[in-house]
Amino acid sequence: MSVLKKRKTIVLSGAALIVGMMLAIQYNTSNNPITRDTRDIWQVRTSLEKEKQKQQELNAEIKKYEALLDDYSQSKKIKSVQAVERALKDAKKDAGLTSVSGQGIFITIEPFSSGEAPKVNPENVRKLMNELNRYKAKNVSISGQRIISISPIREVNGQTYVNNEPIASFPITLKVLTDEPAQLKEKILSSQAAEAFVKQDLLIDAREVQKLTLPAYHGPIPVKYMKQVKEDS
Amino acid sequence: MWLAALSLIVGLVLGFLSEIRIPPEYSNYLSIAVLAALDTIVGGVKAHVKGDFDDKVFITGFFFNIVLAAGLAFLGVYLGIDLYLAAIFAFGVRLFNNIAVIRRLVISKWDNARKNS
Repeated sequence: MSVLKKRKTIVLSGAALIVGMMLAIQYNTSNNPITRDTRDIWQVRTSLEKEKQKQQELNAEIKKYEALLDDYSQSKKIKSVQAVERALKDAKKDAGLTSVSGQGIFITIEPFSSGEAPKVNPENVRKLMNELNRYKAKNVSISGQRIISISPIREVNGQTYVNNEPIASFPITLKVLTDEPAQLKEKILSSQAAEAFVKQDLLIDAREVQKLTLPAYHGPIPVKYMKQVKEDS
Repeated sequence: MWLAALSLIVGLVLGFLSEIRIPPEYSNYLSIAVLAALDTIVGGVKAHVKGDFDDKVFITGFFFNIVLAAGLAFLGVYLGIDLYLAAIFAFGVRLFNNIAVIRRLVISKWDNARKNS
């Protein structure tokens, strides 16, 4: 190879090297650009706190699943079947597919006077549900309809439907399970939702009950967004 | 020629590994510069295939084109005219021309080689 040719190759290679680097940098820049952190110290601290909390939750979850894994990997097959069954039972209980009982409060909603019965506004029922959830109610049923995460409360042809069943007849009864019945009762009776019922000529009352039994949810639960986990993942 | 391709790949790998990023407001200039550099490289390859490669012309062209393209884009930003389009147009057209010339030269070389064999 002559000196000239060698030089030519070196020059071309050097230029190609530079172009390659430029291309890579351009690619890097356009695909993950530098984003400036504009948070102040308070925001950083809050997000740190949040991340820490998340970490704790994740740790707890890991522990839970490790225990579950332990259960599964016990030598006897029966054990793992039991573990699966227990997990399924827990999941069903969480989803509201089993009847539950415990201490709680019993709320009744009745018309004030014996004249023409006023309508129950679904808006108010939803508001009451929100307040109940806010004050740490664990499980709720409205006139025998168990409220789960997807239970609709809405108006159909002028009537209020819960879980697609009408709850027309008075008194409307709500069974609410909670750990602190006395506190929940006080809070609900003085809540905005109770006031909204009163404004519609409805009397709302609540009393503590030592043992309440809530029915299970019987309707279908459509699964829209979940997918089955693949075996090996 | 193989060394040039190899060093292009080495450059790409180096760039990716170094994780260098430039501020987004300058990425326009870099893209123009990349286009200019590519154009010069292809021009160099053409000259190499043709046999009239001159390293002085190549090196000066390489850096001068990059600076000129980036400068044009810079000027365009301050004048409110999209001058970088001129650079893109010029370099784009030349890129295609040069690649076409290279293709023809390579094909004719290949034909000659086959006839002679």
